[in-house]
Amino acid sequence: MDENRKDYERLEQVKQQYKQINMSKEQVEQMKKRIEEAKQEKQQAERKQQLQQKPAGRKKPLSLKIGLTAAAAAAAFILLPNISKDAAYAMSRLPIVGGLVEVVTFRDYQYEDERHRADVNVPELVPNQTTAPVQASDSGQTDAPVQTDGAGTETTGNDSAVQENLKKTTEEINAEIRKITDQIITEFEENAKDKEGYQDIMISHEILATSENYFTLKLICYQASGSGAEWDYFYTIDLKTGQRLALADLFTEGADYITPISENIKEQMQARMDADENVYYWLNDEIEEWNFKQITDETSFYLNADNNIVISFNEGDVAPMYMGCVEFEIPGEVVEGIRK
Amino acid sequence: MTDLTGMEKEQLVEQILLEKYNNYYRLAYSYVHNEADAGDIVQNGAYKAILHSDSLKQKAYAATWIYRIMLNEIFRFLKSNPVSREVYAAPEEIGGKLAGKEDRYQDVDLMRALDTLPQEVKTVIILRYFEDLTLEQIASVQEENVNTVKSRLYRGLKKMRLELAY
Repeated sequence: MDENRKDYERLEQVKQQYKQINMSKEQVEQMKKRIEEAKQEKQQAERKQQLQQKPAGRKKPLSLKIGLTAAAAAAAFILLPNISKDAAYAMSRLPIVGGLVEVVTFRDYQYEDERHRADVNVPELVPNQTTAPVQASDSGQTDAPVQTDGAGTETTGNDSAVQENLKKTTEEINAEIRKITDQIITEFEENAKDKEGYQDIMISHEILATSENYFTLKLICYQASGSGAEWDYFYTIDLKTGQRLALADLFTEGADYITPISENIKEQMQARMDADENVYYWLNDEIEEWNFKQITDETSFYLNADNNIVISFNEGDVAPMYMGCVEFEIPGEVVEGIRK
Repeated sequence: MTDLTGMEKEQLVEQILLEKYNNYYRLAYSYVHNEADAGDIVQNGAYKAILHSDSLKQKAYAATWIYRIMLNEIFRFLKSNPVSREVYAAPEEIGGKLAGKEDRYQDVDLMRALDTLPQEVKTVIILRYFEDLTLEQIASVQEENVNTVKSRLYRGLKKMRLELAY
C-alpha cells in the first residue's frame, strides 16, 4: 500500500511537470495560420467539386476500402524499398548514439487495412568507422561515404582490430535480425491473404545502453491475432573488443554464475508476488514442469546504466502471458567475486 | 447522429484545437523532446484536422479523433527521424528546465522509464494518467478494443514498476 501511494505521488509530480510544457506564442500563431490555410484549401476543394459535379472527379476518400480479392490485397502492400547504403549512411550521420555503433533503418514496412496492420521497422547496426565527430567529415569529398574496411586514416592498429571485429559482429547481428523479421513479415503476408483473420504485427527497437563499454540493441517483436504477444531479442556488443557479449563473458572462467543469478531471480519473484497479488510467476506452481528453475546461456540479458546485469524473459517464459516480458535486475553483490 | 454539417464540423474541430493545443504539444514533446519539432507536429496536425474535418463522423468523437491525428503526426515524424527516437531524454531536457533541483532525480527516472516503453504503450500511459482520458477514449484514439488498451496499460505500468489503479 505504501508503495502504491508513493507511486501516485511520483506520478503526480511528473504530471505537474508535464503540464508546464506549453507552446510558445509564436508557435500558437503559426498554428492559427495553418488552420486558416487548411480552411481555404478545403473551401477551394469544395468549390472545385461543386463545379465538376461528376463523381469521377472526386478525390479519393480518406479511408480506402480494400477490395476483397487477394490480388487487390496484395497490391495494397506498401513495401518501401530498402534504404540505400548512401541514405543509410546519411541518416547515421545525424548526431548521437555516438560511439562506435549506430543504428539505422534497414527496412520500413507499413501496411494497414481493416483487419491487418503491420508497423515494422527493421534496424541495422552500422559500425562507425570514423571516431572523429560526424560533422568533421561532412565536407566535400567524404560526402559519398565509402566503407573502407576500417583502414581509416586516423585509426591506430589496435583500433582497427576492434573495427574489424565490430564489422563482423554487426554483420552477424544484422543477419540474425533480418532472419527473424523476414519470417514475421512472411507470416504476416500469408495471413493477410486470409480474408477472415485479424492480425497486427509490430517490430521496433530500442537502444538500451550506449556506455563506453557496451552497446545493447533490443529488438521488440509483437504479433497479435486475437491476443498479442511480445518477445524481444537483446544484442550486446562489447565495444572494447568489438565482439558480441555473451553472459558467460562477464564472469571469470569456470565460475558458476547460473546458480547465484537463478536463485536471486527466484527470490525476486517471490518478493514481487508477496508484494502484489496481481503478480504471478511460475515458481511454485502446481504444474512442476512450468516452474522456473534456472537461467541458461541462451537467456536474454543486458547491462543497465548501473552496469548491473538485467535478465529478461519473454512473455510466457516464466509467467503467464498477461505478465508481459519480465525483467530482473541482478544486484551487483549477487555476482560479486565472480564477475570480471 | 451524423448531425453536423461540414461547416459545423470544421468549427468544432477548430474550437477543440484552440482549446487543447497545449495538450497535443505536451504529448508530442514527450516523444520528440524538442520544442521546435513538437511545435511543427501540432501545426501540421491542426492543418490536417481542419482539412479533413469532413471525415469526422460524430461530435462525441471529435476530441479523440484529433488526438489520433496528432499521434499519427508524431509517429510519422519519429519514423522519418529515426535517430531522435533512440535518445533518452537527457535530464537537462526534460526535468532540469522544468523541475526544481530537489526532486529532479526521481522524476527524471520516471520520465526515462516512460521513454523506454514501446510507442503505443507510452501513449496509453500518457493519455490515461497525464491527459486523464478514459480507457474507452484511449481505445477510440488508438482504434483498438478496450482490452488491448488495458493490456498495454498493464504492461506499461509493470515495465515502469508502478503500482497504480487503472
